[in-house]
Amino acid sequence: MAALATFLVPVLLLLLCGPDPCPAAAHSQPEVKCVLFNEEYMNCTWGSRETLKANYSLYYWYRNTSNKVECKHYRQDQDIRVGCHFNQNEIIQFQPFHVLLKASMGGSTLEISKRMELQDLVKPDAPVNLTIHNMSNNQLQLTWATTYPKAKCLEHAVKYKSNKDTDWMEISVNGDVFSLPSVDYKKFYTFYVRSKVNKYCGRTQLWSEWSVPVVWGSNSTSKSTVHWFWIHTVLIPIASCVILLVLVILLVRMERVWVILMPRIPNPSKNFDELFITHNGNFQEWAGVPKDVVESFKPNYSENICYVSELPPKDSYDPLWESSNPPPSVMPSASPAPGEHSPYKNSYGRV
Amino acid sequence: MFHAFFRSTLPVLPLLLVLSPVNSSSCAMENKTTEIHVKYENILIHDINELVNISAQNRDRCCKNKNDKNIKVFFCNDTQEIESLQSMACNMLRFFHKQRISKAFRWKAAFVSCGTLQVLKCKCEGHRKEKICPHVNVFGKEDTETGEQSRKKCNQEVCELKENISSLRSCWNKFEKIISR
Repeated sequence: MAALATFLVPVLLLLLCGPDPCPAAAHSQPEVKCVLFNEEYMNCTWGSRETLKANYSLYYWYRNTSNKVECKHYRQDQDIRVGCHFNQNEIIQFQPFHVLLKASMGGSTLEISKRMELQDLVKPDAPVNLTIHNMSNNQLQLTWATTYPKAKCLEHAVKYKSNKDTDWMEISVNGDVFSLPSVDYKKFYTFYVRSKVNKYCGRTQLWSEWSVPVVWGSNSTSKSTVHWFWIHTVLIPIASCVILLVLVILLVRMERVWVILMPRIPNPSKNFDELFITHNGNFQEWAGVPKDVVESFKPNYSENICYVSELPPKDSYDPLWESSNPPPSVMPSASPAPGEHSPYKNSYGRV
Repeated sequence: MFHAFFRSTLPVLPLLLVLSPVNSSSCAMENKTTEIHVKYENILIHDINELVNISAQNRDRCCKNKNDKNIKVFFCNDTQEIESLQSMACNMLRFFHKQRISKAFRWKAAFVSCGTLQVLKCKCEGHRKEKICPHVNVFGKEDTETGEQSRKKCNQEVCELKENISSLRSCWNKFEKIISR
């Protein structure tokens, strides 16, 4: 049983790993990735300082395996080889490009091979010299140039939007001219362009970087945008606060105007505080009337009060008196006792 | 007198054979690049892309482990792109009768080969084109039973056909790039 297990384990390992020896770091085998920049130079990378467990050497060839050449310009990251730089004279497109990564680690040799078609790994440079032309009927025409040696092998994409739009519009263009049918002269447009090798000349998926933008539109539009921003964020809040303040002030001032229009009932009580508080209601004293004048108004005699009353007529009243007898005389009655009711009591009460 | 005539003219024939171009192309569209370009862009490229997609569906992990020396590699030689395309297209017709390759795959490959030869107006040795291309008019129904069996198995012929297709596509890309001015 043990012998069988001993036999099966290497067989399983061989099946899993293939004819190549299983590397110790099989869990993190690097992968070679190459990009051909504008057909001028190429960079192949296989990892970084953090991911690589060994220092790899790169060999490459095109047709014959016997013509293997080692990389002449390694790219290093802290003494670890992470890539290879190829000059233009080392690059051949439309021929199978083979690379072999080799490293020695722990007595074993690590090898990773890959075959590529370099025409499928081309990344053109971004378009340059973007120019906008004003055409008739409110039409704009955008043109550009490219540093790629075969311009007709490129397809392009134009990205644009106005200052009123929220999203970018992206349009595919085959030639090197893009027309925008109708534009608004009040808006401010921004354009970007990028390129890719078309399907007729290769199978790359690598787009170039976006170009330097070109803008079109009236400068005042852009300035007004800036001014409108300041108006929204600064001027309107300040103006609102000022108006609120003015309204508050006016409200306060309106009360005073109201008071002027509708004056309050005057209260002269203050003027008489001295009369009632200091002089205890003595008007003559408060008015400053001299004392001798006050004394002169006091009476220096006494006067008896004469009460007159009318006797009621009798039943045997003799009518002869009209001719011979004098009318009965009015007899003064004795003064009524104090407290009796008299119509004149209150008029001459004080003596 | 007649002997003198023949003695003087007879060496001319071998001389003509020696002086004639070694690699004389049997393609009639050598200098008609514009016409080739139009037919390629409007018609042929779509079939090539479909063929490439079918080829990608076939497992290629086993092909990577195969010894590359056994697989014939076609190169798209500089200044001889049309001849290279002719060579690749004619070679691809060999796979039309290979039963170990799925019927859909080899029929499409033959369709693209015939299209290439038609656009370039080329011929193949042994009249291969005349024997196969007239039958490859319509994309036939795929024989799913044998096709699935062949797809499951990895065989040398599938790997060779995949290599041939990749070379043909790349050579067309190169040709297009050269003629685009």
